[in-house]
Amino acid sequence: MSKRAVDAVFQALFILSDLRFLLRETAPQHDFDEAQKKRAATSLEKVKRQIAIIEEELVQ
Amino acid sequence: MKCAVDIEARDVEEMYINIDPIQAGGRLTADAMKAAISFGDGYSVCDNCRNPPRLDYIQKPPIAQFHADLATWLNMDTARVVPGARRGFQAVASTYVEKGDPVIVTSLAHYTEFMAIEAAGGVPREIPKDAKNHITPDAAAEKIEAVIREFSHTPPLLFVDHVDYQFGNVHDVAGIIKVAHQYDIPVLVNGAYTVGIMPVDGKALGADFVVGSGHKSMAAPAPSGVLATTKEHAGQVFRTTQAKGDVTGRTFGMKEVEMMGCTLMGVTVVGMMASFPHVRERVQHWETEVAHSQAVVDALLSIEGTKVLSDYPRQHSLTRIDTRESFDTVAEHHKKRGFFLSSDLKKRGITGVIPGSTKVWKFNTFGLTDKQIRHVGESFIEVARENGLNIV
Repeated sequence: MSKRAVDAVFQALFILSDLRFLLRETAPQHDFDEAQKKRAATSLEKVKRQIAIIEEELVQ
Repeated sequence: MKCAVDIEARDVEEMYINIDPIQAGGRLTADAMKAAISFGDGYSVCDNCRNPPRLDYIQKPPIAQFHADLATWLNMDTARVVPGARRGFQAVASTYVEKGDPVIVTSLAHYTEFMAIEAAGGVPREIPKDAKNHITPDAAAEKIEAVIREFSHTPPLLFVDHVDYQFGNVHDVAGIIKVAHQYDIPVLVNGAYTVGIMPVDGKALGADFVVGSGHKSMAAPAPSGVLATTKEHAGQVFRTTQAKGDVTGRTFGMKEVEMMGCTLMGVTVVGMMASFPHVRERVQHWETEVAHSQAVVDALLSIEGTKVLSDYPRQHSLTRIDTRESFDTVAEHHKKRGFFLSSDLKKRGITGVIPGSTKVWKFNTFGLTDKQIRHVGESFIEVARENGLNIV
């Protein structure tokens, strides 16, 4: 059982949900302002960290 | 892109500004999306269901607290989550209406109110609207008198829509309830277009029942809703079962008859709960939503020949518009006929106007950002200008 991997999968999905919400807020052009770009960049960094955990726990 | 075999993923809200009249208030919050990911399995909220085995007693996730919070928020005494506003109507009608009873609704009532009355064996009678598409206390009093004359007894229930689905007009619900109570008629307030998008105070309205829709106005998955009531009525509408099996002798304890035991058992209730803090917050910004609605309506009214059929200035984000003398004149000779409007809007990233509609149609601006509102207003004007209509 890898609680850490399970948590990372959920965390990644939750962070991507925040990104999805950002797409909704900015539809249809998705023309991000500076604050939105920062939010998106932060989210992507967080997702990468979670994916790294999943790889570490399940694949490597 | 498919999300499963033969099921296209839905990306309408990500790709377009959606002004569909019924979808605006039910768009999920990010937290509700996360809850949906986590609680998608059927009986997912039942992991920690203990004694008494009933949804509104579950502590983890905090469904019991959510029920208490819902009642407090609506300023009512008790509340239950239900599978859509219609099931709230049905629970109340089933409790109070006997076969052949007259039940008063309004001439702007949602069809599900009629269904609830019919299922209970009641006979619907409508309060007429006035020339301004309003239901007034005077009209309610006249109808009550007429119904008493016709049936020789007082109706056991009256339904009134806080904001109607046809025009998005706000009605004098408190005044109507005051009249109904003079005849001892309990009143159910249909808050499908108010609970979750604008402040609602059940006690201030004098309501006996307040019904809201989770998927229409509380940023929740469908089907979901809330039925709230007073101490006076809670014992009746939320009565527990007395049934007993004649062979097994089984009884069913605390299960509530009108709730069919438990109601929302997974993603619906947890989605409602996850959105609730945001919903509580957003109703405080109702004035901004009304200003947004007004801005789009004003943009439409700048197109020569366009009329607004809802109250003006706007008091709600749902609006009924008449473009028979503007966009419909274009449709008469356009190669796409009436489909040109939805098509031209879609090119600009706007959806939700029924394809083919250029006569009388509705839209809802709830939940859009300032930027999106500007885009919608400017797009209507651009489409009009490109098709030779005058902007005044």
